[in-house]
Amino acid sequence: MAAKFDLNDDSVVVIIGSGAGGGTVANELAQRGVKSVILEAGKTLSLEDIENDEWAMFSKISWLDKRQSAGSWHGAVNHPGLPAWIVKGLGGSTVHWAGVSIRYQEHEFKMKTTSGGVAGANLLDWPITLDELKPWYDKAELKMGTTGDVTGMPHLPWSADFKVLAEGARRIGYSKITAGPMSINSQDRDGRPACQQIGFCMQGCKIGAKWSTLYTELPRAVETGNCEIRTNCMVLQVEHDKSGKVTGVVYADADGKKQRQKARVVCVAGNSIESPRLLLNSESSMFPNGLANSSGQVGRNYMTHMTAGVYGVMPGEVHMNRGTAVAGIVRDEAHYDDSRGFAGGYTLEKLALGLGFLSAFLVPGPTGWGREVSSGLENYKYMSGVWICGEDMPQEQNRIALHATEKDQYGLPVPVVHKTDHPNDTNMRNHAYAQMAKIYHSLGAKKIYNLPAYPASHNMGTNRMSAKPEDGVVNKWGQSHDIKNLFVSDGSQFTTSASPNPTLTIVALAIRQADYLATQMKKGAI
Amino acid sequence: MLYDLTIVKDHYREIAPISDFKVSRRSLLASTAFLALATATAVGPTGSWAAAGVSAEQRLALIRMARDIYPHDDFLPDEPYVEVVDSILKEAESNDDTRKLVMDGLSDLEARAQKIYGSSFAAIADPNKREGVLRSIELTGFFQKFKGGLLMGLYNNKSLYPKFGYDGSSWEQGGFMDSFDKIGWL
Ligand SMILES: Cc1cc2nc3c(=O)[nH]c(=O)nc-3n(C[C@H](O)[C@H](O)[C@H](O)COP(=O)(O)OP(=O)(O)OC[C@H]3O[C@@H](n4cnc5c(N)ncnc54)[C@H](O)[C@@H]3O)c2cc1C
Ligand code: SF4
Repeated sequence: MAAKFDLNDDSVVVIIGSGAGGGTVANELAQRGVKSVILEAGKTLSLEDIENDEWAMFSKISWLDKRQSAGSWHGAVNHPGLPAWIVKGLGGSTVHWAGVSIRYQEHEFKMKTTSGGVAGANLLDWPITLDELKPWYDKAELKMGTTGDVTGMPHLPWSADFKVLAEGARRIGYSKITAGPMSINSQDRDGRPACQQIGFCMQGCKIGAKWSTLYTELPRAVETGNCEIRTNCMVLQVEHDKSGKVTGVVYADADGKKQRQKARVVCVAGNSIESPRLLLNSESSMFPNGLANSSGQVGRNYMTHMTAGVYGVMPGEVHMNRGTAVAGIVRDEAHYDDSRGFAGGYTLEKLALGLGFLSAFLVPGPTGWGREVSSGLENYKYMSGVWICGEDMPQEQNRIALHATEKDQYGLPVPVVHKTDHPNDTNMRNHAYAQMAKIYHSLGAKKIYNLPAYPASHNMGTNRMSAKPEDGVVNKWGQSHDIKNLFVSDGSQFTTSASPNPTLTIVALAIRQADYLATQMKKGAI
Repeated sequence: MLYDLTIVKDHYREIAPISDFKVSRRSLLASTAFLALATATAVGPTGSWAAAGVSAEQRLALIRMARDIYPHDDFLPDEPYVEVVDSILKEAESNDDTRKLVMDGLSDLEARAQKIYGSSFAAIADPNKREGVLRSIELTGFFQKFKGGLLMGLYNNKSLYPKFGYDGSSWEQGGFMDSFDKIGWL
């Protein structure tokens, strides 16, 4: 059944990347009879490759090609070569993701209007509304098996670790406390088993209870006979003709040999660092600032969410490692209320780290050693923790730039990832630290650790959607304003970050994009 | 400037006192245990560290430093620390860069200890003082080499997981279905 397309077949859609965006677009196109070739830089993976070992999995499947952290965030010092935590492998970051699947709120599509603008932030309203996206959110939840009303699957059972957070939250007056929505099966569903509380969700789910394109969208796309996946194939450049339409891509295959795959349409879904990097690297005499970049916004407005961690040493044993890594969300601060000193909102998500990751992140970087670290780790089984995830402000100078001299193994300029907090981000983080301190103190915590941001797992905004071509890179379908047959299918299309984790929205947009694309192709409009 | 010890002392004051938290400061006991190790290893068989051109005293200074990087006084024995130090010394045996990193780093450490406390590093009795000296070299490749090795050797060492109350891999046992929701004190 597996399709095999000729390099000169210019009728196919070429999809770059097999993660949340690329994998979904591929399957949705395939189901509609549209032929595609997925080029994936990483290797083929299967459930066999998944281990319950944090650093082993990190080194096995992370994107570890040369990258540079820049800007004033602590990672420029503490994680100089690892600005983001992204997977290079079949399934992309959906192999590592934790499964939190919250819809964006209505006002979050209109942050500029809602806030009236924030000084120093490059805010813009999305060209779509929650109403327009609702049916696509429904489809995304059905596809991903998101717990909640649409699938009818109950949220996951509460782990001890979540009970700790929930009780503290209750004591300080919070009430929006749920063990979902999570795209993790709480019952056998869609050919995948119910969660067995293995606890290494972010190392890959050994039994496939958690949605990942690796064992859902990708094999289903291939099964139709409409989709070919080529792994170990790193796209180096998107090419175009004299009329300015894209004609295909040049990639390095598994043997490092350069190949040219022709295409009718190209969908870029390499996540928010690689996607703009590829467009910038595809500069030509016709497009000297890179493809699709007449607005100058390619690579700009890089967002990661305002994030932080808080770990508390509790008076009794917690064993946070037992059970789902996240599955526990508090949403009492997710609304809009600028009297708190910041625009936008945030969620508190219980997050279990194993001993290995906690040892590296409790006090990150070269200065993270000594009793502060070791005494905390001695109390591992008493620890409970959260990840704070809130809206961060788009800023033009936060961006993916190309290094002037440094090259990666493919000979491409290394991406330099600039990230500096906006004062709004800082105010929000401090507010969240203070709320978490109240929560943990209410439980009698013996010690509380405030952790700065981890290398970014949520990456957004670097090819943003806009109503007007001068404000952004793509239109409301993720289609380049400048080049009709070039699409962006990943989180880099986000106009603003909103507060929730991005993947559900990436998938909803990808399903909607595939529907539009298939229709346009059928009409001969593309 | 970060290498200036006066700044390091200021920095140190911020991070050292953990008043609301029980921290074992039984340095006497710790140093007695350490001395026992010193005697034992000094008379024991020489390992590859000798082949790397490292004396028994130098190796002990490295082990002292290792215990100070992630101090676990009576919580952890010397063995896992010794293993990390010896594995770096084993690498130094065949790798000139590593050997140079270790030897130069060590003489720098000893020179600082002499200058500030008039003593060899391992003989500084007060762990806070030793930490102060180490803070002054914490950004060096030498220090980071040992810190990195210890991070893996102590906290990513499956044989030590039980000591920390960490369960490690669970899929082979079918996950934590029986225990994930149990909590006694809430
Ligand atoms: C530990 C962790 C936990 C997370 N938890 C959550 C969560 O709970 N909820 C949530 O919503 N999100 C979560 N995320 C984020 C989520 O994984 C991402 O938002 C999502 O996967 C992004 O989708 P994407 O399509 O943009 O990119 P990815 O899924 O990262 O896929 C990009 C793919 O493109 C490939 N690629 C890149 N460049 C090229 C090129 N030039 N040629 C060929 N291939 C290329 C990459 O190898 C990769 O496979 C988490 C992420 C991590 C790392
Ligand atoms: S806790 Fe559940 S979702 Fe997470 S890895 Fe285990 S089985 Fe999969």
